[in-house]
Amino acid sequence: MLSTRVIACLDVHNGRTVKGINFVNLKDAGDPVEQANFYSKTGADEICFLDISATYENRKTMFDVISKTAETCFVPLTVGGGVNNLNDFRELLKCGADKVSVNSSAVSNPKIIMDSSDKFGNQCVVLAIDAIENKTMPSGYEVTTHGGRKKTNIDVLNWAVKGVKNGAGEILLTSMTTDGMKTGYNLHLTKLVSENVPVPVIASGGAGNPKDMVDVVLKSGASAVLAASIFHFGIHSILSVKKEMLKNGILVRDCGN
Amino acid sequence: MNLTIIDYGSGNLRSVENAFSNAITDNNLKCNIRVTSDIHIIANADLLVLPGVGSFPDCRKGLQSIEGLIDVLSEQVLFKKKKFLGICVGMQLMFDFSLEKIRTSGFGWLSGNFNKIKTVGLDYLGRNFKVPHMGWNSLRLEHINHPILKKINEKDQYYFVHSYYLEGNQINQVIASTNYCHQIPAIVGNENYLGVQFHPEKSSLSGQKLISNWLKWRP
Repeated sequence: MLSTRVIACLDVHNGRTVKGINFVNLKDAGDPVEQANFYSKTGADEICFLDISATYENRKTMFDVISKTAETCFVPLTVGGGVNNLNDFRELLKCGADKVSVNSSAVSNPKIIMDSSDKFGNQCVVLAIDAIENKTMPSGYEVTTHGGRKKTNIDVLNWAVKGVKNGAGEILLTSMTTDGMKTGYNLHLTKLVSENVPVPVIASGGAGNPKDMVDVVLKSGASAVLAASIFHFGIHSILSVKKEMLKNGILVRDCGN
Repeated sequence: MNLTIIDYGSGNLRSVENAFSNAITDNNLKCNIRVTSDIHIIANADLLVLPGVGSFPDCRKGLQSIEGLIDVLSEQVLFKKKKFLGICVGMQLMFDFSLEKIRTSGFGWLSGNFNKIKTVGLDYLGRNFKVPHMGWNSLRLEHINHPILKKINEKDQYYFVHSYYLEGNQINQVIASTNYCHQIPAIVGNENYLGVQFHPEKSSLSGQKLISNWLKWRP
Protein backbone atom coordinates (compact mmCIF):
# COMPACT_ATOMS: atom_id res chain seq x y z
CA MET A 1 0.00 0.00 0.00
CA LEU A 2 1.06 3.55 -0.71
CA SER A 3 3.01 5.31 2.04
CA THR A 4 2.14 8.81 3.12
CA ARG A 5 5.06 11.02 2.14
CA VAL A 6 7.09 13.22 4.46
CA ILE A 7 8.72 16.03 2.50
CA ALA A 8 11.56 18.23 3.73
CA CYS A 9 11.64 21.75 2.32
CA LEU A 10 14.68 24.00 1.96
CA ASP A 11 14.56 27.72 1.18
CA VAL A 12 17.52 28.58 -1.01
CA HIS A 13 18.87 32.04 -1.71
CA ASN A 14 21.90 32.54 -3.91
CA GLY A 15 22.95 28.93 -3.50
CA ARG A 16 22.69 28.93 0.29
CA THR A 17 19.93 27.77 2.59
CA VAL A 18 18.30 30.54 4.53
CA LYS A 19 15.74 30.75 7.32
CA GLY A 20 17.46 29.85 10.54
CA ILE A 21 18.96 26.50 9.85
CA ASN A 22 20.64 24.84 12.76
CA PHE A 23 21.80 21.34 12.01
CA VAL A 24 23.81 19.35 14.46
CA ASN A 25 25.65 16.93 12.21
CA LEU A 26 26.61 19.08 9.26
CA LYS A 27 29.90 20.77 8.60
CA ASP A 28 28.34 23.61 6.68
CA ALA A 29 24.86 24.44 7.89
CA GLY A 30 24.07 26.66 4.94
CA ASP A 31 24.85 24.21 2.16
CA PRO A 32 21.59 22.99 0.58
CA VAL A 33 23.32 20.05 -1.11
CA GLU A 34 24.64 18.73 2.17
CA GLN A 35 21.29 19.29 3.84
CA ALA A 36 19.35 17.54 1.11
CA ASN A 37 21.66 14.55 1.48
CA PHE A 38 21.22 14.60 5.22
CA TYR A 39 17.45 14.59 4.86
CA SER A 40 17.38 11.87 2.25
CA LYS A 41 19.70 9.68 4.34
CA THR A 42 17.51 10.14 7.40
CA GLY A 43 14.31 9.14 5.65
CA ALA A 44 12.82 12.11 3.76
CA ASP A 45 10.61 10.78 0.97
CA GLU A 46 11.13 13.86 -1.14
CA ILE A 47 13.15 17.06 -1.06
CA CYS A 48 11.62 20.36 -2.00
CA PHE A 49 13.83 23.34 -2.87
CA LEU A 50 12.28 26.73 -2.86
CA ASP A 51 14.41 29.22 -4.76
CA ILE A 52 13.92 32.66 -3.33
CA SER A 53 16.66 34.32 -5.39
CA ALA A 54 15.54 37.50 -7.06
CA THR A 55 17.94 37.79 -9.97
CA TYR A 56 18.77 35.63 -12.92
CA GLU A 57 22.44 35.48 -11.91
CA ASN A 58 21.47 34.07 -8.55
CA ARG A 59 19.16 31.59 -10.19
CA LYS A 60 22.06 30.03 -12.07
CA THR A 61 23.52 28.93 -8.76
CA MET A 62 20.24 27.08 -8.15
CA PHE A 63 20.86 24.93 -11.21
CA ASP A 64 24.18 24.05 -9.67
CA VAL A 65 22.53 23.11 -6.38
CA ILE A 66 20.07 20.80 -8.17
CA SER A 67 22.77 19.17 -10.30
CA LYS A 68 24.99 18.47 -7.31
CA THR A 69 22.11 17.20 -5.20
CA ALA A 70 20.88 14.90 -7.95
CA GLU A 71 24.31 13.28 -8.16
CA THR A 72 24.07 11.65 -4.77
CA CYS A 73 20.52 12.08 -3.57
CA PHE A 74 18.29 9.40 -5.08
CA VAL A 75 14.87 10.62 -3.97
CA PRO A 76 12.47 12.84 -5.91
CA LEU A 77 13.43 16.51 -6.03
CA THR A 78 10.90 19.29 -6.42
CA VAL A 79 12.03 22.80 -7.24
CA GLY A 80 9.95 25.94 -7.10
CA GLY A 81 10.29 29.69 -6.98
CA GLY A 82 10.61 32.08 -9.88
CA VAL A 83 9.67 29.56 -12.57
CA ASN A 84 8.28 31.76 -15.31
CA ASN A 85 8.38 29.86 -18.58
CA LEU A 86 8.98 26.55 -20.31
CA ASN A 87 12.67 27.26 -20.54
CA ASP A 88 12.92 27.48 -16.75
CA PHE A 89 11.12 24.12 -16.57
CA ARG A 90 13.45 22.55 -19.10
CA GLU A 91 16.59 23.84 -17.38
CA LEU A 92 15.51 22.59 -13.97
CA LEU A 93 14.47 19.16 -15.24
CA LYS A 94 17.73 18.87 -17.15
CA CYS A 95 19.68 19.49 -13.95
CA GLY A 96 17.89 16.61 -12.25
CA ALA A 97 14.69 18.07 -10.79
CA ASP A 98 11.78 15.64 -11.02
CA LYS A 99 9.00 18.11 -10.40
CA VAL A 100 8.72 21.84 -10.80
CA SER A 101 6.29 23.94 -8.85
CA VAL A 102 4.65 27.08 -10.17
CA ASN A 103 2.97 29.70 -8.05
CA SER A 104 2.96 33.42 -8.92
CA SER A 105 3.72 32.74 -12.58
CA ALA A 106 0.61 30.55 -12.90
CA VAL A 107 -1.50 33.44 -11.64
CA SER A 108 -0.06 35.95 -14.10
CA ASN A 109 0.05 33.37 -16.90
CA PRO A 110 -2.37 30.44 -16.31
CA LYS A 111 -1.32 28.94 -19.65
CA ILE A 112 2.00 27.89 -18.16
CA ILE A 113 0.32 24.92 -16.45
CA MET A 114 -1.21 23.65 -19.66
CA ASP A 115 1.93 24.26 -21.70
CA SER A 116 4.31 22.67 -19.21
CA SER A 117 2.14 19.62 -18.58
CA ASP A 118 1.72 19.13 -22.32
CA LYS A 119 5.44 19.35 -22.82
CA PHE A 120 6.80 17.50 -19.78
CA GLY A 121 3.83 15.52 -18.45
CA ASN A 122 1.50 16.39 -15.59
CA GLN A 123 3.52 14.25 -13.16
CA CYS A 124 6.16 16.96 -13.03
CA VAL A 125 3.91 20.01 -12.74
CA VAL A 126 3.10 21.00 -9.17
CA LEU A 127 0.70 23.86 -8.60
CA ALA A 128 1.78 25.67 -5.44
CA ILE A 129 -1.00 27.66 -3.81
CA ASP A 130 -0.39 30.14 -1.00
CA ALA A 131 -3.75 30.61 0.67
CA ILE A 132 -5.03 33.19 3.14
CA GLU A 133 -8.38 33.27 4.86
CA ASN A 134 -10.90 35.60 3.24
CA LYS A 135 -14.56 35.24 4.16
CA THR A 136 -15.73 37.04 1.02
CA MET A 137 -14.38 34.25 -1.21
CA PRO A 138 -16.70 31.34 -2.12
CA SER A 139 -14.44 28.79 -0.43
CA GLY A 140 -13.35 31.20 2.32
CA TYR A 141 -9.76 31.31 1.04
CA GLU A 142 -7.95 33.59 -1.37
CA VAL A 143 -4.88 32.86 -3.49
CA THR A 144 -1.89 35.09 -2.77
CA THR A 145 1.40 35.51 -4.58
CA HIS A 146 4.87 36.85 -3.82
CA GLY A 147 5.13 35.02 -0.53
CA GLY A 148 1.66 36.03 0.62
CA ARG A 149 2.20 39.76 0.11
CA LYS A 150 0.01 40.15 -2.97
CA LYS A 151 -3.69 39.32 -3.03
CA THR A 152 -5.20 38.08 -6.28
CA ASN A 153 -8.97 37.99 -5.73
CA ILE A 154 -8.87 34.35 -6.90
CA ASP A 155 -10.73 31.70 -4.95
CA VAL A 156 -8.43 28.90 -3.73
CA LEU A 157 -10.75 26.00 -4.46
CA ASN A 158 -11.68 27.24 -7.94
CA TRP A 159 -8.02 27.81 -8.66
CA ALA A 160 -7.03 24.33 -7.52
CA VAL A 161 -9.76 22.65 -9.58
CA LYS A 162 -8.87 24.72 -12.62
CA GLY A 163 -5.15 24.03 -12.19
CA VAL A 164 -5.76 20.29 -12.16
CA LYS A 165 -7.99 20.53 -15.24
CA ASN A 166 -5.16 22.36 -16.98
CA GLY A 167 -2.72 19.61 -16.16
CA ALA A 168 -1.21 20.05 -12.69
CA GLY A 169 -0.40 16.61 -11.29
CA GLU A 170 -0.18 17.66 -7.68
CA ILE A 171 -1.13 20.57 -5.41
CA LEU A 172 1.28 22.02 -2.86
CA LEU A 173 -1.08 23.82 -0.53
CA THR A 174 0.38 26.31 1.93
CA SER A 175 -1.67 28.12 4.50
CA MET A 176 -0.03 31.52 4.79
CA THR A 177 -2.02 32.19 7.94
CA THR A 178 -0.40 29.32 9.80
CA ASP A 179 2.97 29.27 7.97
CA GLY A 180 5.86 29.54 10.41
CA MET A 181 3.51 29.64 13.41
CA LYS A 182 4.15 26.03 14.45
CA THR A 183 0.51 25.80 15.59
CA GLY A 184 -0.48 23.04 13.20
CA TYR A 185 -1.61 22.89 9.58
CA ASN A 186 -4.84 24.51 8.47
CA LEU A 187 -7.03 21.41 8.66
CA HIS A 188 -10.14 23.01 7.20
CA LEU A 189 -8.35 24.38 4.14
CA THR A 190 -6.47 21.14 3.49
CA LYS A 191 -9.62 19.02 3.76
CA LEU A 192 -11.53 21.35 1.48
CA VAL A 193 -8.98 21.13 -1.33
CA SER A 194 -8.04 17.51 -0.76
CA GLU A 195 -11.63 16.29 -1.04
CA ASN A 196 -12.32 18.27 -4.19
CA VAL A 197 -9.36 17.59 -6.44
CA PRO A 198 -8.46 14.20 -7.94
CA VAL A 199 -4.68 14.67 -7.59
CA PRO A 200 -2.49 14.38 -4.48
CA VAL A 201 -2.43 17.35 -2.09
CA ILE A 202 0.66 18.20 -0.03
CA ALA A 203 -0.16 19.95 3.23
CA SER A 204 2.19 22.79 4.09
CA GLY A 205 2.47 25.66 6.53
CA GLY A 206 2.28 25.41 10.28
CA ALA A 207 3.79 22.10 11.36
CA GLY A 208 5.01 22.41 14.93
CA ASN A 209 5.37 18.76 15.93
CA PRO A 210 4.81 15.23 14.65
CA LYS A 211 1.25 15.20 15.98
CA ASP A 212 0.33 18.05 13.60
CA MET A 213 1.38 15.85 10.70
CA VAL A 214 -0.73 12.98 11.96
CA ASP A 215 -3.72 15.31 12.29
CA VAL A 216 -3.55 16.72 8.78
CA VAL A 217 -3.43 13.22 7.30
CA LEU A 218 -6.16 11.70 9.45
CA LYS A 219 -8.48 14.72 9.67
CA SER A 220 -7.89 16.40 6.30
CA GLY A 221 -6.88 13.55 4.03
CA ALA A 222 -3.54 15.02 2.93
CA SER A 223 -1.51 12.74 0.64
CA ALA A 224 1.78 14.15 1.90
CA VAL A 225 3.09 16.50 4.57
CA LEU A 226 5.75 19.11 4.05
CA ALA A 227 7.75 20.96 6.68
CA ALA A 228 10.80 23.15 6.85
CA SER A 229 11.64 24.72 10.17
CA ILE A 230 10.71 21.88 12.51
CA PHE A 231 13.32 19.70 10.84
CA HIS A 232 15.96 22.39 10.51
CA PHE A 233 16.39 22.92 14.21
CA GLY A 234 16.86 19.26 14.93
CA ILE A 235 14.03 19.28 17.47
CA HIS A 236 12.04 16.85 15.39
CA SER A 237 13.56 14.46 12.90
CA ILE A 238 12.00 12.75 9.93
CA LEU A 239 12.27 9.58 12.00
CA SER A 240 10.31 10.98 14.94
CA VAL A 241 7.60 12.22 12.58
CA LYS A 242 7.35 8.84 10.89
CA LYS A 243 7.29 7.02 14.21
CA GLU A 244 4.36 9.14 15.33
CA MET A 245 2.56 8.58 12.05
CA LEU A 246 3.07 4.83 12.24
CA LYS A 247 1.82 4.80 15.83
CA ASN A 248 -1.37 6.37 14.55
CA GLY A 249 -1.88 3.84 11.81
CA ILE A 250 -0.44 5.86 8.93
CA LEU A 251 1.81 3.80 6.66
CA VAL A 252 5.21 5.34 6.02
CA ARG A 253 8.39 4.29 4.28
CA ASP A 254 11.05 2.79 6.53
CA CYS A 255 13.77 5.41 7.16
CA GLY A 256 16.52 2.81 6.68
CA ASN A 257 15.63 1.98 3.09
CA MET B 1 30.82 -3.39 -20.72
CA ASN B 2 28.95 -0.53 -22.33
CA LEU B 3 25.68 0.65 -20.95
CA THR B 4 23.61 2.94 -23.11
CA ILE B 5 20.85 5.14 -21.78
CA ILE B 6 18.66 6.03 -24.69
CA ASP B 7 18.08 9.73 -25.15
CA TYR B 8 14.97 10.54 -27.14
CA GLY B 9 14.11 13.83 -25.53
CA SER B 10 12.19 12.33 -22.66
CA GLY B 11 12.94 12.79 -19.12
CA ASN B 12 15.27 12.58 -16.31
CA LEU B 13 18.29 11.18 -18.08
CA ARG B 14 20.64 12.81 -15.65
CA SER B 15 19.03 11.11 -12.66
CA VAL B 16 19.07 7.75 -14.41
CA GLU B 17 22.73 8.19 -15.31
CA ASN B 18 23.62 9.24 -11.74
CA ALA B 19 21.84 6.27 -10.19
CA PHE B 20 23.39 3.70 -12.54
CA SER B 21 26.81 5.25 -12.18
CA ASN B 22 26.52 5.04 -8.40
CA ALA B 23 25.47 1.37 -8.53
CA ILE B 24 28.35 0.55 -10.91
CA THR B 25 30.87 2.12 -8.53
CA ASP B 26 29.34 0.48 -5.45
CA ASN B 27 29.55 -2.96 -7.02
CA ASN B 28 33.04 -2.48 -8.46
CA LEU B 29 31.77 -3.22 -11.94
CA LYS B 30 33.58 -2.26 -15.11
CA CYS B 31 30.98 -0.49 -17.15
CA ASN B 32 30.91 2.74 -19.15
CA ILE B 33 27.73 4.74 -19.45
CA ARG B 34 26.72 6.54 -22.62
CA VAL B 35 23.65 8.73 -22.90
CA THR B 36 22.85 8.94 -26.57
CA SER B 37 20.34 8.98 -29.40
CA ASP B 38 22.91 7.67 -31.92
CA ILE B 39 21.52 4.39 -33.23
CA HIS B 40 25.00 3.09 -34.10
CA ILE B 41 26.14 3.45 -30.51
CA ILE B 42 22.87 1.91 -29.37
CA ALA B 43 23.37 -1.04 -31.70
CA ASN B 44 26.84 -1.65 -30.25
CA ALA B 45 25.93 -1.34 -26.59
CA ASP B 46 25.97 -4.35 -24.28
CA LEU B 47 23.26 -3.08 -21.97
CA LEU B 48 20.28 -0.89 -22.82
CA VAL B 49 18.20 1.36 -20.59
CA LEU B 50 15.11 3.13 -21.85
CA PRO B 51 13.84 5.81 -19.48
CA GLY B 52 10.55 7.62 -20.04
CA VAL B 53 8.58 10.32 -18.34
CA GLY B 54 5.56 12.20 -19.61
CA SER B 55 2.75 10.72 -21.63
CA PHE B 56 2.87 7.51 -23.65
CA PRO B 57 2.03 9.18 -26.99
CA ASP B 58 4.70 11.86 -26.44
CA CYS B 59 7.35 9.26 -25.65
CA ARG B 60 6.35 7.21 -28.69
CA LYS B 61 6.59 10.35 -30.81
CA GLY B 62 10.02 11.13 -29.40
CA LEU B 63 11.28 7.64 -30.26
CA GLN B 64 9.83 7.80 -33.74
CA SER B 65 11.54 11.10 -34.43
CA ILE B 66 14.87 9.28 -34.37
CA GLU B 67 14.97 7.34 -37.58
CA GLY B 68 15.47 3.61 -37.22
CA LEU B 69 15.60 3.70 -33.42
CA ILE B 70 12.60 1.48 -32.71
CA ASP B 71 13.76 -1.14 -35.22
CA VAL B 72 17.27 -1.15 -33.82
CA LEU B 73 15.93 -1.57 -30.29
CA SER B 74 13.68 -4.48 -31.24
CA GLU B 75 16.49 -6.16 -33.12
CA GLN B 76 18.98 -5.76 -30.28
CA VAL B 77 16.56 -6.93 -27.63
CA LEU B 78 14.56 -9.67 -29.34
CA PHE B 79 17.19 -11.15 -31.68
CA LYS B 80 20.58 -10.17 -30.28
CA LYS B 81 19.20 -10.78 -26.76
CA LYS B 82 20.78 -7.68 -25.26
CA LYS B 83 19.92 -7.00 -21.65
CA PHE B 84 17.32 -4.28 -21.47
CA LEU B 85 15.58 -2.25 -18.77
CA GLY B 86 12.56 -0.04 -19.45
CA ILE B 87 11.69 2.53 -16.79
CA CYS B 88 8.17 3.91 -16.28
CA VAL B 89 6.92 4.86 -19.76
CA GLY B 90 10.01 3.04 -21.06
CA MET B 91 8.48 -0.08 -19.51
CA GLN B 92 5.01 0.66 -20.87
CA LEU B 93 6.41 0.93 -24.39
CA MET B 94 7.45 -2.75 -24.27
CA PHE B 95 3.77 -3.74 -24.54
CA ASP B 96 1.11 -3.70 -27.27
CA PHE B 97 -0.52 -0.35 -26.68
CA SER B 98 -1.68 2.32 -24.23
CA LEU B 99 -4.99 4.14 -24.03
CA GLU B 100 -3.43 7.30 -22.57
CA LYS B 101 -4.92 10.29 -24.42
CA ILE B 102 -5.26 8.32 -27.67
CA ARG B 103 -4.67 4.66 -28.43
CA THR B 104 -0.95 4.41 -29.25
CA SER B 105 0.99 1.28 -30.00
CA GLY B 106 4.14 0.19 -28.18
CA PHE B 107 6.86 -2.21 -29.35
CA GLY B 108 4.73 -5.29 -28.74
CA TRP B 109 7.53 -7.31 -27.12
CA LEU B 110 5.13 -8.31 -24.37
CA SER B 111 1.39 -8.67 -24.62
CA GLY B 112 -0.86 -6.35 -22.71
CA ASN B 113 -2.13 -2.79 -22.71
CA PHE B 114 -2.29 0.21 -20.42
CA ASN B 115 -5.44 1.78 -19.07
CA LYS B 116 -6.21 4.47 -16.50
CA ILE B 117 -5.85 3.43 -12.87
CA LYS B 118 -9.29 2.66 -11.48
CA THR B 119 -10.13 4.54 -8.32
CA VAL B 120 -13.10 3.13 -6.46
CA GLY B 121 -13.88 3.68 -2.81
CA LEU B 122 -11.56 5.03 -0.14
CA ASP B 123 -8.14 4.01 1.12
CA TYR B 124 -7.45 2.50 4.59
CA LEU B 125 -7.54 5.98 6.15
CA GLY B 126 -10.78 6.97 4.42
CA ARG B 127 -9.06 9.16 1.81
CA ASN B 128 -9.97 9.27 -1.85
CA PHE B 129 -7.57 7.45 -4.12
CA LYS B 130 -5.68 10.09 -6.09
CA VAL B 131 -4.32 9.80 -9.60
CA PRO B 132 -1.40 9.94 -10.41
CA HIS B 133 -0.44 7.06 -8.14
CA MET B 134 2.37 9.13 -6.66
CA GLY B 135 4.75 8.13 -3.92
CA TRP B 136 6.45 5.16 -2.31
CA ASN B 137 4.85 1.76 -2.47
CA SER B 138 5.93 -1.75 -1.58
CA LEU B 139 6.10 -4.79 -3.84
CA ARG B 140 4.39 -8.14 -3.80
CA LEU B 141 6.95 -10.57 -5.09
CA GLU B 142 5.41 -12.91 -7.67
CA HIS B 143 8.51 -14.63 -9.09
CA ILE B 144 10.33 -14.78 -5.83
CA ASN B 145 13.43 -16.47 -7.28
CA HIS B 146 14.02 -14.01 -10.09
CA PRO B 147 17.55 -12.52 -9.78
CA ILE B 148 16.14 -8.98 -10.08
CA LEU B 149 14.48 -9.49 -6.67
CA LYS B 150 17.61 -10.61 -4.85
CA LYS B 151 17.68 -9.18 -1.30
CA ILE B 152 14.46 -7.26 -1.99
CA ASN B 153 11.52 -7.82 0.35
CA GLU B 154 8.21 -6.28 1.38
CA LYS B 155 10.00 -3.64 3.45
CA ASP B 156 11.55 -2.15 0.32
CA GLN B 157 9.53 0.63 -1.22
CA TYR B 158 9.77 2.17 -4.66
CA TYR B 159 8.84 5.57 -5.99
CA PHE B 160 5.89 5.41 -8.37
CA VAL B 161 4.39 8.21 -10.41
CA HIS B 162 1.97 7.12 -13.12
CA SER B 163 -1.70 7.25 -14.06
CA TYR B 164 -1.91 4.23 -16.37
CA TYR B 165 -1.30 0.61 -15.49
CA LEU B 166 -0.87 -2.74 -17.20
CA GLU B 167 -4.26 -4.37 -17.50
CA GLY B 168 -4.93 -8.06 -17.50
CA ASN B 169 -3.36 -10.93 -15.74
CA GLN B 170 -0.45 -12.27 -17.73
CA ILE B 171 0.95 -13.71 -14.55
CA ASN B 172 3.95 -15.31 -16.24
CA GLN B 173 5.37 -11.94 -17.26
CA VAL B 174 4.69 -10.14 -13.95
CA ILE B 175 7.68 -10.53 -11.61
CA ALA B 176 6.39 -8.21 -8.88
CA SER B 177 3.31 -6.12 -8.39
CA THR B 178 2.11 -3.34 -6.14
CA ASN B 179 -1.25 -2.39 -4.75
CA TYR B 180 -3.03 0.91 -5.20
CA CYS B 181 -6.79 0.52 -5.11
CA HIS B 182 -6.12 -2.60 -7.15
CA GLN B 183 -3.22 -4.81 -8.18
CA ILE B 184 -0.71 -3.04 -10.45
CA PRO B 185 2.17 -4.86 -12.20
CA ALA B 186 5.43 -3.26 -11.03
CA ILE B 187 8.23 -5.40 -12.50
CA VAL B 188 7.58 -7.24 -15.74
CA GLY B 189 9.69 -9.03 -18.26
CA ASN B 190 10.77 -11.99 -20.21
CA GLU B 191 14.15 -13.58 -20.92
CA ASN B 192 16.63 -10.72 -21.33
CA TYR B 193 14.31 -7.73 -21.01
CA LEU B 194 12.71 -6.24 -17.94
CA GLY B 195 10.57 -3.23 -17.26
CA VAL B 196 9.73 -1.39 -14.04
CA GLN B 197 6.69 0.81 -13.58
CA PHE B 198 8.39 2.74 -10.77
CA HIS B 199 11.55 4.85 -10.77
CA PRO B 200 14.49 2.86 -9.36
CA GLU B 201 16.72 5.89 -9.95
CA LYS B 202 14.59 7.81 -7.45
CA SER B 203 14.01 4.99 -4.99
CA SER B 204 16.94 5.53 -2.64
CA LEU B 205 18.69 2.40 -1.32
CA SER B 206 15.92 0.05 -2.47
CA GLY B 207 16.34 1.44 -5.97
CA GLN B 208 20.09 0.98 -5.82
CA LYS B 209 19.55 -2.65 -4.83
CA LEU B 210 17.33 -3.22 -7.86
CA ILE B 211 19.72 -1.49 -10.25
CA SER B 212 22.62 -3.55 -8.87
CA ASN B 213 20.59 -6.73 -9.33
CA TRP B 214 19.84 -5.79 -12.92
CA LEU B 215 23.51 -4.98 -13.63
CA LYS B 216 24.61 -8.34 -12.21
CA TRP B 217 21.77 -10.32 -13.75
CA ARG B 218 22.82 -12.90 -16.37
CA PRO B 219 19.75 -13.77 -18.37
